[in-house]
Amino acid sequence: MPELVVILAINGLIWGLIIALIALGLSIIFGLLDIVNVAHGDFFMVGTVLAWTVISYTGNFWLAFLIVPLIGMLLGCAVERLVIKPIENSPALSIVACFGLSLILQETVRATFGATPKRILDPIGITIPLLGLNYQIYRLFAAAVAIAAIVAFFLFLHKTKFGTWMRAVRQDRETAIALGLPSDRIFLVTFGLGTSMAMLGGVVAAPITSVEFRLGLDVLPLCFMAVIIGGMGNLPGTAAAAVLLAFIEGIITSFTEPTTARIISLVIMSVVLLVRPEGIFARRRT
Amino acid sequence: MKAVPVASSAPSLGVWLARFTPGQGFVLLAVFLLVLPWLVPNYQRVFVAEIFVWGLFAMSFAIVFGYGGMLSFAQAVFFGAGCYGFNLGTFYFGFNTWGAVISAVIAAMLFAIPIGYIATRVRHHHFLIVTVIISVLVTTILDSGHWKWLAGPYVTRSLTFVPEVPLGIVSFSFFSEMVAYYFTVIMVMLAVAVSWLLVHSPFGRALLAIRDNETRAKLIGLNVNRLRWIMFVIAAGIAGYSGALFALLARFTNLEFFHWTYSGKAVVMAIIGGVGTLIGPFVGTAFYLLSNEYLSQFFQQFVIGVGIILLLVIRYAPEGLWGLFAGWVRSHRSP
Repeated sequence: MPELVVILAINGLIWGLIIALIALGLSIIFGLLDIVNVAHGDFFMVGTVLAWTVISYTGNFWLAFLIVPLIGMLLGCAVERLVIKPIENSPALSIVACFGLSLILQETVRATFGATPKRILDPIGITIPLLGLNYQIYRLFAAAVAIAAIVAFFLFLHKTKFGTWMRAVRQDRETAIALGLPSDRIFLVTFGLGTSMAMLGGVVAAPITSVEFRLGLDVLPLCFMAVIIGGMGNLPGTAAAAVLLAFIEGIITSFTEPTTARIISLVIMSVVLLVRPEGIFARRRT
Repeated sequence: MKAVPVASSAPSLGVWLARFTPGQGFVLLAVFLLVLPWLVPNYQRVFVAEIFVWGLFAMSFAIVFGYGGMLSFAQAVFFGAGCYGFNLGTFYFGFNTWGAVISAVIAAMLFAIPIGYIATRVRHHHFLIVTVIISVLVTTILDSGHWKWLAGPYVTRSLTFVPEVPLGIVSFSFFSEMVAYYFTVIMVMLAVAVSWLLVHSPFGRALLAIRDNETRAKLIGLNVNRLRWIMFVIAAGIAGYSGALFALLARFTNLEFFHWTYSGKAVVMAIIGGVGTLIGPFVGTAFYLLSNEYLSQFFQQFVIGVGIILLLVIRYAPEGLWGLFAGWVRSHRSP
């Protein structure tokens, strides 16, 4: 029993890191463009599907780590230019547009990829004995990739000029634009980056989940929970909340069924909303 | 289809509806709807009635969003709660059709009171996220099988008999599609009329004031959260009412009606039709269901087309198809 708790906790932790990566993309888009990207989960789903496609055409999984985030960047930029930018003045309609986008993505995947869930074989294929169980090394690798991507994201945000611009726009849009920052380009890159992170998350998660056109619908609420609990627009808080939530859910799962664990975390979440609507890690953003 | 003031002298609200549809338009529409079932085959009558039911569902979203400024993805929960309340009324309490419809509305409102309390306390985009998460919570609970002690077998139970509509001494049976059609359309019209009165009442105007400028509304002494909450609960009641009408018409209820993607359907239909009015959602629903009916034979993934049209509508005609049409009519009518 204690072994099981540890294993499930580790699994939760790894899943939480992947969710953190995706939720950070959601959070940065929210912080800068002021829209809730309802299609974010579907970008994640497209990432898993593209990973599956790359494997089945080239036979090489690792290629997906290179190609898919690039496609994500391009796709995100195209979406920002074609869909988001023309209606940037009405955030509520932008969200509805994102929902339309999510329908288009799902149905396109269903039309091309098919409706039946598929699985990707463990690309490393080596297991290590962990507390009497054979544990896939790939899961540890996935965690490492997620951590690396999150660290790279924060480094980009804090150490590069463009990242500083992004933080400036997030903090005070009007002033930043008045000071002459290229807001158009910043918004474009932000959306591309967020999408790219979701699709990278998709590649990382593809071998440990099933690949299906409805996948995004499960992941999106998890990201929402992380973003709400972490405090909207609070990036480190979002990442911490994602990891914490999945970790706690993993531990609860070892005592009861997964659905009960999910219900418990959703109830916790509602309580947090009642008590602290601005999130538990909320600190004044200004 | 719309209740409209006979003397259309209220252009100040900016609702072009009042200016556009004179009394005759309404009468013509009513006559058309009365005659329609005699012109189409049996199957189509139920289909038209179905458009009205889903249109009412989309309208419940349009009220919350168009008049209250709240982008709610929880409408499906209330639609489902309506189905559930309907089943509870029918099977558990043994009510007749009227009682079951009333218990559906009450069930939806009971769901909406706590949900609305949480959701209307938060602002802006949080509202959307909160409604999505609460919908997920409700669906997860109902899906998990733990609801059996909570809700009994009434969530997914479908009608096993042909419903009757008792009216005084006579009683009409849904066995006839005519009865199903007229009952549904008249019930929907009643709900639309009530909603029209509501959004044009001082209460509705107060909500418009909140939507347009919350700080100002607060300063003139409106209890913003309470008003939004009341509006949310009323719209939930309308969604539950449409759920009951659906359970009657289709004799089928399902867990998936609770899922937030069904709310998304309402959002899509309402936005395509136009949310600034009550008639727009019906237009959008008719568009959606007709294209589902006639396009999906040729193009399985017609939803892709709907998504693209949604994007085009948002981009080029934010007031929806009905808004486009009305604007076109008006441009021909300048005095």
